[in-house]
Amino acid sequence: MNIIEVHNLSFRYSQAEVLRNISFKIKTGTFLAVVGPNGVGKSTLLNLLSAGLKPDTGSVKIDGKTIGSYSTKKLAGKIAVVRQEFIPIFSFSVIETVMISRTTHYGQLGFETETDRDIVNEALEVTDTAQFASRLLSNLSAGERQRVFIARALAQQTPILLLDEPTSFLDLKHQVNIYDLLKTTQLKQGKTIIAVTHDINLAAQYCDTILLLASDGRYCYGDAREVLTVEKITDVFGVRIFSGKIRDESFFIPIGKSAKDSEKFGTTQGNI
Amino acid sequence: MKQLLTKRKLFFQIALAFAVLMIVMFACSLQGTQHISLKSVFASSGTPNSINPDYEIFVHVRLPRIILACIVGAALAGAGVVFQVLLRNPLADPYILGISSGAGLGSIIAVVSGFSWTLWGRSPIAVFAFIGAIGTIWLVWFIGRLTGKANVTGLLLAGVVVNAFFSAVIMFLISVTQSSKVYSTIFWLMGNISEEDIFVLWTGAGFIIAGTVALFYISPQLNAISFGLDDARSMGINTSRIQLAAFAIAALTTSIAVCLSGLIGFVGLIVPHGVRLVFGPDHRQLLPLSTITGAIFLVVADTLARTIIAPAQLPVGIITAIVGGPFFLLLLIKSSHKTSWFNK
Repeated sequence: MNIIEVHNLSFRYSQAEVLRNISFKIKTGTFLAVVGPNGVGKSTLLNLLSAGLKPDTGSVKIDGKTIGSYSTKKLAGKIAVVRQEFIPIFSFSVIETVMISRTTHYGQLGFETETDRDIVNEALEVTDTAQFASRLLSNLSAGERQRVFIARALAQQTPILLLDEPTSFLDLKHQVNIYDLLKTTQLKQGKTIIAVTHDINLAAQYCDTILLLASDGRYCYGDAREVLTVEKITDVFGVRIFSGKIRDESFFIPIGKSAKDSEKFGTTQGNI
Repeated sequence: MKQLLTKRKLFFQIALAFAVLMIVMFACSLQGTQHISLKSVFASSGTPNSINPDYEIFVHVRLPRIILACIVGAALAGAGVVFQVLLRNPLADPYILGISSGAGLGSIIAVVSGFSWTLWGRSPIAVFAFIGAIGTIWLVWFIGRLTGKANVTGLLLAGVVVNAFFSAVIMFLISVTQSSKVYSTIFWLMGNISEEDIFVLWTGAGFIIAGTVALFYISPQLNAISFGLDDARSMGINTSRIQLAAFAIAALTTSIAVCLSGLIGFVGLIVPHGVRLVFGPDHRQLLPLSTITGAIFLVVADTLARTIIAPAQLPVGIITAIVGGPFFLLLLIKSSHKTSWFNK
């Protein structure tokens, strides 16, 4: 069963075309990573998938229906979005922040129901943020804050979760924590997760499917092990890549021209 | 552990704030140049032959003025809350999008053209100021829309530029007319509360109360909008509808306030901030409490304005800035260790 179907999707800003004739289908319960160089339209794709932008041509279907046919409220019941690091100007507490995702379900007078409270508490537990539920968002570290925004997306109770570079400002431990959390929600709750990321190695370790976008409009969509290869990554990113294996999973390391050992590598590249 | 806002807590807070407002209004109504005693106010309303001066002063002079201060304070503070969240800018106040210069231009045009009629007891200055205010904010909104639907910066810039442009036109008109009447405009623009016709009061109060209730109704959505339009939309909020409604209500209530009392600064900036510092940013609480606090603040400020150099009167705008400024700074310094909205 395909939860998302993208057909011949194209989008251009006034200055540049970023996506050209992209088609792919996402099975329910897949963890998909969207990778590619800066400016190829990864975030644009995320906005198209969440109806923040309208495609020039082509279509996005969620559960078999065109995305444009959903009302804002209905769509919010299908897709939750975690955007890049953002701190609101007013200091809401963690629990208030997560509760805001329930706004459209509030009872009369604009207050949450018992159900809303249970859902929020569960999201706080799952993301391990319950311990600082009463702290202000502005007083948290970047890693903690990212977990809160994921909690907020989970409390929205949608089958689909979109994330825009969820680990971009995080240290190694927090990066792994976030991906562990996402993987758990995928496996336990059966959510379909789409993450835009720059971290190919995390994508290789955690994601089932990869959408690799190249700047000339080509793209590659498929199983993670088939898409993430030295040849494809080198081609798309335009850097020398060395790759190794830890058990079944590959890892990729870029080596630049001025890197300390660059000379020794010569012009070779590939699997070590 | 910080608790979530509950209906009961909110109701209790609103009731308490309202009680304080009533006490303040009552206490302030007894202050003034002319000493009046409550006993004689309630003793009799006077007969056609012998009027009771205490009753006359209380009912026809003090009360209307205090009610007006209450209405204007509530309107400005409520509108301040809305502009701060819609523009996601802590420096926003009800005048930020050019209402002040629009109102000023309207009133100057009224003076220059020399109209002498009245509309529902309002002078041409007030009527033109209202038209100027609502027209300007519509213009700024329209220009802001042209720069992009979610473009807050575009809206702010449009406001700043329209403000500057209209200010220049005002200066131009003042230079070419050199009318002594211009003085009355300037005094009026400084913000002035005076005795009002009862019909004007009730109309104004009706609009402000309706506006506040409507805003309270959408306050959960305003909470979501605090996180940005994209986030609010993906949480299921119809952002353009909420924005438009909140904007229209805030613009209308501000314009009514301007029409009733000229430009009273500071209330719409510091009251929402003060309430937010103490009670937090939840709009379900922030909006009603700011509205009532704004009313309390302006009633007190106006009482000071008419008693401090009695029998002369100061424009209330001077008092709001002189009293409000330092008070707000104290509150800011005291709470800055737990809140931080502009260093992030």
